Amino acid sequence: MVYCAKKLLIIATLLLPIVACAPNRSAAPTGETTGEAQQPLVTGAIPDQDPEKLQRLYGKLSEYLEQELGVPVEYKPVTDYAAAVTAFKVGDLGLVWFGGLTGVQARLQVPGAEAIAQRDIDANFHSVFIANKKAGIQPLTDINGLQSLKGRTITFGSESSTSGRLMPQYFLQQAGVKLEDFKGQPGFSQSHDATIKLVEAGTYEVGALNEQVWKSRVAAGEVDLNQVDVIWRTPAYYDYHWVINPAVTEHYGADFVEKVQAALLKLDPNVPEQKEILELFGASKFIATENGNYQQIEAIGRQIGKIK
Amino acid sequence: MDNKPLQTVPRPAWLHQRLRWALIALIAIAVSLCAVGLQPAIFNWNGLGQLWRFLAASGQPDLSAEFLAVVLRAALTTLAYAVCSTCLSLLIGAVGGLLASEVWWLAVLPHQNLHRSISSTIRMILAIPRAIHELIWGLFFVNILGLDPLVAILAIAIPYGAIVAKVFSELLDETPRQPLFALLNSGVPAANAFIYSLIPQAFLNFVSYAFYRFECSIRSAAVLGIIGAGGLGYEILLSLQSLRYHQLWTLFLALFVLNGAVDWGSAWLRHRLGSPTRLDLNLRRPTRSRKQSKPGDPLVLGAGIGLLALIPFSFWYVAADWTKLWSPRTATLLAEVGQAIWPPRLETLPQLGPLLLQTLAMSILAIAIAGMGGVLLAFPAARNFWSPNGLLAGHTTSGLGRIWAWTRLLLTRAFLLMARAIPAPIWALVALFVLFPGILPGAVALGIHNLGILGRLMAEVVEDLDPRPVVALKAQGVTAPLLFLYGVLPLTLTRFLAYILYRWEVCTRETVIVGLVGAGGLGRLLTEQLSSFDYQNLLVTLAGFVVLTFVVDWISGTARRALR
Repeated sequence: MVYCAKKLLIIATLLLPIVACAPNRSAAPTGETTGEAQQPLVTGAIPDQDPEKLQRLYGKLSEYLEQELGVPVEYKPVTDYAAAVTAFKVGDLGLVWFGGLTGVQARLQVPGAEAIAQRDIDANFHSVFIANKKAGIQPLTDINGLQSLKGRTITFGSESSTSGRLMPQYFLQQAGVKLEDFKGQPGFSQSHDATIKLVEAGTYEVGALNEQVWKSRVAAGEVDLNQVDVIWRTPAYYDYHWVINPAVTEHYGADFVEKVQAALLKLDPNVPEQKEILELFGASKFIATENGNYQQIEAIGRQIGKIK
Repeated sequence: MDNKPLQTVPRPAWLHQRLRWALIALIAIAVSLCAVGLQPAIFNWNGLGQLWRFLAASGQPDLSAEFLAVVLRAALTTLAYAVCSTCLSLLIGAVGGLLASEVWWLAVLPHQNLHRSISSTIRMILAIPRAIHELIWGLFFVNILGLDPLVAILAIAIPYGAIVAKVFSELLDETPRQPLFALLNSGVPAANAFIYSLIPQAFLNFVSYAFYRFECSIRSAAVLGIIGAGGLGYEILLSLQSLRYHQLWTLFLALFVLNGAVDWGSAWLRHRLGSPTRLDLNLRRPTRSRKQSKPGDPLVLGAGIGLLALIPFSFWYVAADWTKLWSPRTATLLAEVGQAIWPPRLETLPQLGPLLLQTLAMSILAIAIAGMGGVLLAFPAARNFWSPNGLLAGHTTSGLGRIWAWTRLLLTRAFLLMARAIPAPIWALVALFVLFPGILPGAVALGIHNLGILGRLMAEVVEDLDPRPVVALKAQGVTAPLLFLYGVLPLTLTRFLAYILYRWEVCTRETVIVGLVGAGGLGRLLTEQLSSFDYQNLLVTLAGFVVLTFVVDWISGTARRALR
């Protein structure tokens, strides 16, 4: 019995730190890098292209924004679309780089949220449909050509991706092709790069992805063009943009939204450090945008069922 | 039974219970295979190049100083999260396990005949958190807690706590009760009686299981990179999205080291403590007397102090904001979530049936692959088996033979470690390179991952084998194949099957994370609804998962009892 009691004592001591720790941690300040004086502006992004660059990218961007805005800026890594939208909704993310669809989803959940800036290429964004050469699909001449994809297998990217899912599915629908017309269920590869590789391997005959990613992978020689090539380029639409949470004005003043927008638009490709930030984003500059630009995306989102 | 007079044992019926279960299993696997077999081609030979590129990258992991620093920090984060969530899940599990055990209610309410119904109701309730994957818990907690380390800790601790509770309650119920009732009958209050009888009796099993849970937590923390927590999971996700294979392999190596170290450490400590395998299911047998550690073993003491230090360090390192648990904002947000999901919508109900079956088929195939592979690899991975001086070792004691035997042991173990350390979604992508989309690549991915876990658990069963019957047979000159069939298999197979059935439930839940194979069943629907913020329909899908867990739980429970 004594031995047993001793063991119980061990459990008790094992569990003690947990109990002891709880109040300690709660008393400690949560923001490690800043004092209590000013709450940092928390930025986030949905990693869609070259996510491993994110760390570097947001380090540089945070520094730049801190300088321009005079408030501490912090970057929080979030790798899931739904988690990023939700974190924006509950106010834990103040400024987020969203995709077309996720930006709309986020704004719909936060009244007063505003789209403030986009890259020069985002106003005129395209997706591409790619096909494995062995599938013998000829390049399509117009949108109706999509009908020739019936009976094939297809993969999209991520479920919430505008360029890798929403717009391709919309154009398919415009051409009268339903998802059920494909062979089996459509795949969701979760990333543009995986889409390229799975179509290159021939696992799926057709794939749809972000044109920017396709071009940069082809330029880098990472795609075997003997195995896979573009069969159609979609018409243009609006995609990625910065969305800001209205709650920031409570902390940093009524004109803060304009300030952030101005800071983003001011990024100058002629200044070496700023050029680096722009290059990491794959942009030559940021331009202004507004909520109205995404009405089409919202309508399509509702039609396809991604917005309820 | 022992007291009855000797009677002739009737010959078992031809179609006895075990054979019946074997037939059921075979039919289930065959039907699941039919669901796959509808497509003409299975292998995509064209993708071998892609597979090769992935595997070849293992030779040149990214070892740049910059990246190694990232990996090191991430590994520390993952370890800290795993420690915190394990502690919390054990706490939840200890309380839940006591409440879910029949024997507790029997002790507390001795006169009402309610103990069975109360405990089974609580076990049913515990199946709900278990049915939901950590990832979904994570998203739920982001909804009410925002971005905080707490999210990842709770996302692991809640479902794991429910699993721990289930296992603990089973352990308690299967521990001999005579000492407990002796105390209770002499008037000791129920709580005290437990503390002095049942809990110490089952304690070593608890500790072993806690270590097993810790290993699982590390694997889980490696999948759960999504919620701003960082760690290896986050880094793996980032490198996976742009398919940086060289970086991925560096991260895998970190996972091997972390998994391997915890694995080895816990095995060593359990051995020192003289405790049985880490997950002692199916133990309706008197606890064998084992070599107990001498109280005050300095090595164990040192390890214990090290572990004790690790816990506060981890809680400090993770720096979760525990006040969020009771802050008014959390309450408001919880109410908002409540409004968003209620009332549930039944639009997807008609689809649910086929999707359920698809998920079931995938999980059956996955566990069949994992089970068969695990049984095959458990023997070469066990230290006491084919290795020199092992139970089935040949008589050749040449140097070359010894080297070969040890290489085989190490290679098998390395393979099992790799299989379980690499997260299932990565196996899914790899499987998709060479298999056409459908249930099969998903089953293969889950199968490989779980094979690594099962193989290790089973190897431990083999190492734990009572050597006497086998040695006796061997001394009589029985040949190795017969020795294996009549000496080893009967002693191990039931416990292998118990592990397989236990892991099956995990496989059904994990189908959520291999949605990229184009046949995710319920999991696919779930991700679609999550990304559409369609919480009203989501509730119904989650209910589907709960139903599935009930069914799997019931089948595996019945089968385990029959096989005992």
